[in-house]
Amino acid sequence: MGINFSKVAFTYNPQRKTENNRYVISDVDLQINDSNEFICILGHTGSGKSTLVQMMNALLVPTKGEIDIDGNVITPKKQENLKSVRKKVGLVFQFPEYQLFEETVLRDVSFGPKNFRIENPEEKAKEAMNLFKLDNSFYDKNPFLLSGGEMRKVAISGILASDPEVLILDEPTVGLDPLTKQELIDLLKRINQENKKTVIIVTHDMDVVWQVATRVVVIDDNKIVYDGNKYDLFKNEQLIRQHSLDVPEIIKILKELNDKLKINIDVYQDNLESAYKAIVEAYKHE
Amino acid sequence: MNSKIVFGQYYNSNSWVHRLDPRVKILSLILLMVVIFLIDNIFFLLGFFGLTILVILSTRIPFTKFLKSLKMITFLLLFMFIFQVLFRRTGELLFTLDFTLTIWNLITIVILLVFYFLLGKVFKKFRFVQLLLILILAFVLQYYWVNGKEIVNYQISVYEDSLLTASFVFVRIVNILFLSSLLTLTTKPMELNQGLESLLKPLRALKVNPSIFTMMIAIALRFIPTLINEANKILKAQASRGVDFKEAKLKEKITQVVSLIVPMFVIAYRRAIDLSDAMEARGYDPDATRTSMEVLKFKMADIISLSTICLLCVAIIVLKIVF
Repeated sequence: MGINFSKVAFTYNPQRKTENNRYVISDVDLQINDSNEFICILGHTGSGKSTLVQMMNALLVPTKGEIDIDGNVITPKKQENLKSVRKKVGLVFQFPEYQLFEETVLRDVSFGPKNFRIENPEEKAKEAMNLFKLDNSFYDKNPFLLSGGEMRKVAISGILASDPEVLILDEPTVGLDPLTKQELIDLLKRINQENKKTVIIVTHDMDVVWQVATRVVVIDDNKIVYDGNKYDLFKNEQLIRQHSLDVPEIIKILKELNDKLKINIDVYQDNLESAYKAIVEAYKHE
Repeated sequence: MNSKIVFGQYYNSNSWVHRLDPRVKILSLILLMVVIFLIDNIFFLLGFFGLTILVILSTRIPFTKFLKSLKMITFLLLFMFIFQVLFRRTGELLFTLDFTLTIWNLITIVILLVFYFLLGKVFKKFRFVQLLLILILAFVLQYYWVNGKEIVNYQISVYEDSLLTASFVFVRIVNILFLSSLLTLTTKPMELNQGLESLLKPLRALKVNPSIFTMMIAIALRFIPTLINEANKILKAQASRGVDFKEAKLKEKITQVVSLIVPMFVIAYRRAIDLSDAMEARGYDPDATRTSMEVLKFKMADIISLSTICLLCVAIIVLKIVF
């Protein structure tokens, strides 16, 4: 099943006759599988990424076209059963710690499951918190007295607790220290690989994209301008320049090394270990 | 996000009223409200109302904007009217209406009410007008169609004074609402704030600092769009967690409302604390005298308008005393 966009466009003022460039996003044809994909959505601020992502769980309804979410077709005229859509497609907003409101952490994390009428909401909440290594010492704490990183983990658990099939996160690593950031990315990778869920993140961080993405979608000028794998994207220097994107650090560093040391390593290394091996190999041949 | 939030009721235009100093407008509103209550002759009142309408027309602001201000109190006015008609029994008796409620027309009235509810499912707009028509029909039935066993017979007598008093109240209320709308439609919120600050300056002599209040108003005005934006974000975030006001039991609804209010409080407090730190870091002192970029100055038009209104006030008072 999954999420299918057909010729979707969105504007905040449908009554006004808008020329094409007044649409926040238009001409969207996108097919997302509900398992095994790890999609990174890139695009500069104001490009329509948040709008696109909010249409995936029916928070926003398309002005044109239709969106098929697991069989439920949403059109400008017909929107039904939106609550079940939001259970299947979990969306975590930027700075999710602002959504915390309950008296204890456990109650806040079980808020989602309770609303979606899931059985044993507190069990599900505890399971979700376990993924973040939030143990039972956290259950009765006041969410407002936690550190920023802990609050974020609690907030994301609040969405995970409802066990969505597709998990979407809008800039999840913003404002986190490097350790917590990596913890979060590792957790998302695990959810994607072990639980086979589709994870979609909106991000500016190219290193994260390089680490985890199986598919990259680039939005520029209110349209989708690239939808494919990360290697083809970052190999294409013209595309990178054209859409004001940046390149992962590993590639930049290896390119510098190639330049300065006059060696010829394949710069598109997956991670530090393979980069290290490639450098060692290059020197063995000297 | 949701781009234009039309704040307050300011209607952007360049009429002579728009160009008046806000202090003149505020003072005039107060004086004119006093005048409205001082006038006790219905013809003078109607004349005054006519003048108000002329001023409104001269600004070329669409009249519908003024009618909107009446929307809220239609019910109150109607209630007042009915109250007056039913209970004021002084003055000349104008006419009497005889109503009878019988078995048959009671049944018909019940059917009409059911019809009203069903009609509401189809035509969602103008519910009040629908109800009014149904009620008028109900009374017409009790007047004309009186066969069958009588349940109760009653009379409504309309006296001269009731209509007179009702008219006074009606015209006064509408006039005041129109004048207030005129103020808010022709004056930007920040102008109003500045005008208020200037008018309240004398309070400094009483050891009260009005600039503190005007600063509070200015900050509140500035942050309304921001807070609306944040509220929208919270609403969406909680909607993603299943908040849905339609299908929820009462107890759940309360928690859901709390899930919107608590984050808003936290966000508002954080902003307030950050803003005050930022202001103090830049040397803000609430008791210091502040200058502003635009200084209010009286122009000829202001002097003429204010004098005319003062003369009007004095004239009415004199007329009251003499007659």
